[in-house]
Formats: sequence, structure tokens, C-alpha cells
Amino acid sequence: MKLRILLADDHEIVRRGLCALLQRHEGWEVCGEAVDGREAVEKAKQLKPDVVIVDIGMPNLNGLDATRQLLQHDPNFKVIVLTVTDADQAIREALDAGARGFVLKSDAARDLVSAVEALQSKRMFFTPRVNDLLLAGFLEKGHAISQSQPPSLPTLTAREREVTQLLAEGRSSKEAASLLNLSTKTVETHRSNIMRKLSLHSIRDLVVYAIKNKIIQIEISPDRNPPAAKVAEQGQGTDSPA
Amino acid sequence: MDDHPIVREGLRTVLQGRLGWEVVGEASNGIEALEKAGSLLPDVMVLDITMPKMNGLEVCRLARQKTPGLEVLFVTQHDSPQMMREALSAGAKGYVVKSNAARDLLRAIEVVIQHQVFTALTRPDPVTSGGLDGGRD
Repeated sequence: MKLRILLADDHEIVRRGLCALLQRHEGWEVCGEAVDGREAVEKAKQLKPDVVIVDIGMPNLNGLDATRQLLQHDPNFKVIVLTVTDADQAIREALDAGARGFVLKSDAARDLVSAVEALQSKRMFFTPRVNDLLLAGFLEKGHAISQSQPPSLPTLTAREREVTQLLAEGRSSKEAASLLNLSTKTVETHRSNIMRKLSLHSIRDLVVYAIKNKIIQIEISPDRNPPAAKVAEQGQGTDSPA
Repeated sequence: MDDHPIVREGLRTVLQGRLGWEVVGEASNGIEALEKAGSLLPDVMVLDITMPKMNGLEVCRLARQKTPGLEVLFVTQHDSPQMMREALSAGAKGYVVKSNAARDLLRAIEVVIQHQVFTALTRPDPVTSGGLDGGRD
């Protein structure tokens, strides 16, 4: 029986590359693709893949929140997070979300097959840098790194984080309500709670919070300042496939 | 030419589906792209903007100076009218946003090999809207 993989990345060209890579492996099949975190969650529930590969920077629902939702629905989901950075915070957040694999996009051609193989064998897969960080956290603190520095994100509920991402991406309360199958009034209540909890006063503040906390990511021009004005779903300062 | 192998793999799968087209080489940084453009003499060079060692805009300028018949198509993360104009100023004939590359790439190359301009941002360029953006010039 083939190992079934669900792929989630908002760039079709990246999905094509990942598909080509994974399908060269005998015994594996890409059973579905998703263009954002929301679709990834829906398709994972429907298709019940053996492994889910999610990009972190996706519109509507980012990969980390998608991972949280998946594991809340079924803790047996095996998720590999694809990321453009292995900065400490990104690693902490991926581990905190429950990912069992962490692969840099720039190294995906080399590491992704190994990561899927690891999960297939009920092991975890992390880049050498993640392993170093985990070891350092263990040695210094005597316990797991995820406990060494509480991430700032869980001050919001999962729903509030979803609303934060959609509003920070420029959607109106009505549009966010439609995407989340909620009433506009409920979204506005969430919005008020978010602003109050975080002591924010404007949508601009909310966008800054979302960027700082990697709920959305910005696109930065390569060799010039200032950065491109567009708030994008990925980039991390390079023209990455993100 | 893209520094991410997985993107090159994706581009290759799109391009290889087209009868009569051949991917003659790949490069993972700007210097390598420039060298391969000079040695392989492709009809079209598909370039990323942000690459290690030399950015795509500079590669485009130099490659066009050395090989005047070479056409350059950018496939980039930068969904920016300003960046698109810089790319065209550098001598590129095409500009496609990476998020839409799977949809736009083949059509863009068809246009570019006819030495015409193809640009496709996800939103209209206020300067060139009605002219360049979204298809042939």
C-alpha cells in the first residue's frame, strides 16, 4: 500500500517541484494538494493522508496554525513543516505547533525525501540546526526547548489567530466572516478582543503584530530599500519559493 | 536559473511538457547563470531576481550585452510594478510572478521568443495598466 502525502503550498510551481520529487520515490503518492492552510486542513480531514507537508507562509491560514488545527482534530497526523528560515523562533513555533519534521525550502530537494522516510518509520526529522538547538536547550535547561521560552503567540486563541491573519492580509470583517463561516458580528467581537488583549489601536498595529509574530510574512526587495510595500504571504527577505 | 532546486524542478516540469522546447541548463546563482548563458546560448533565459553572488537584474544586463539575441524572462516573488519596470529596463522581455508561474510561464515564453513583451502582475500596474500588464505589449 502506498504512502499517501498531502502537499500544501500556495505556489503551484513549488508544488509541481515537490510533487516531481516525491513521486520519483516508489511507493509514495501525492494524494492531494492545497493552496492554503485552510484547504490543507479540509483536505487532510477528508483524505486522511499518512504525511502532510505544509509551507509555513500561506495565505488565509498559515502553515503553523494549519498544523495546530490538524493535530487538534487528530493527534496522529504527521506533519512536516517547510520553511524559508531556520531561525530560533521559527523552530520553536514549528515544534510548539506539533510538527514532526522541519525542512528548509532551500534544502527541500535534498532533505524532504529523508524527512518523509523518517516519519514513515515513526521518527522525527529536523535540520542539523534544529537538532543543535534542541540539544542546547536540553543541556542548558534540562528540558525541552519548547518549554525554555514560551512563544508569544498563544496569548491569542486559535480562532483569534485566524482572524488576525485574515485582517492583517487586508480582508474586511465581512470577508473574514465569510471565509470562517462566522457572522460579521462574531468576527468583529474577535477583532475587539484581539485589539484589547494585545493593546493594539489600529489595523496598522495589527499588521505589525502579525508580521512580528510571523502570522504573515512580508516580501522584501532584494537589493534596495525600502522594502516592497506589499504585504505578502511569504518571502522572509529573499526571493524564495516560500 | 533559481537558487532553490525545488523551484527549478517545478519550472522544469512545466517547460518539459512543451513539445519542441528543451531545458539546456540550470544555474543556482547569478554568476553561474551568466556563465551558462554565455556557453549554452539559449534562446530564452528564465531568471529569478534574488540569487546569490549576483542578482538577476545584473545578470540580465550583462547577459544581454554579451548575447544581444538572448531574451530574458523573470520569474520572481516580487509582485511589484516598480520591480517589473526595473526588470524591463535591464533588458528583460518578460516578467511573471512566481505564484502564477505555472499558469503564465508557457504563454510568457511564447511571447518573449517572438521578441515581444509579456508581463503579468497579480494586480494592475498603475503606470502601465492597459498597456503592458497582463499580457502582450
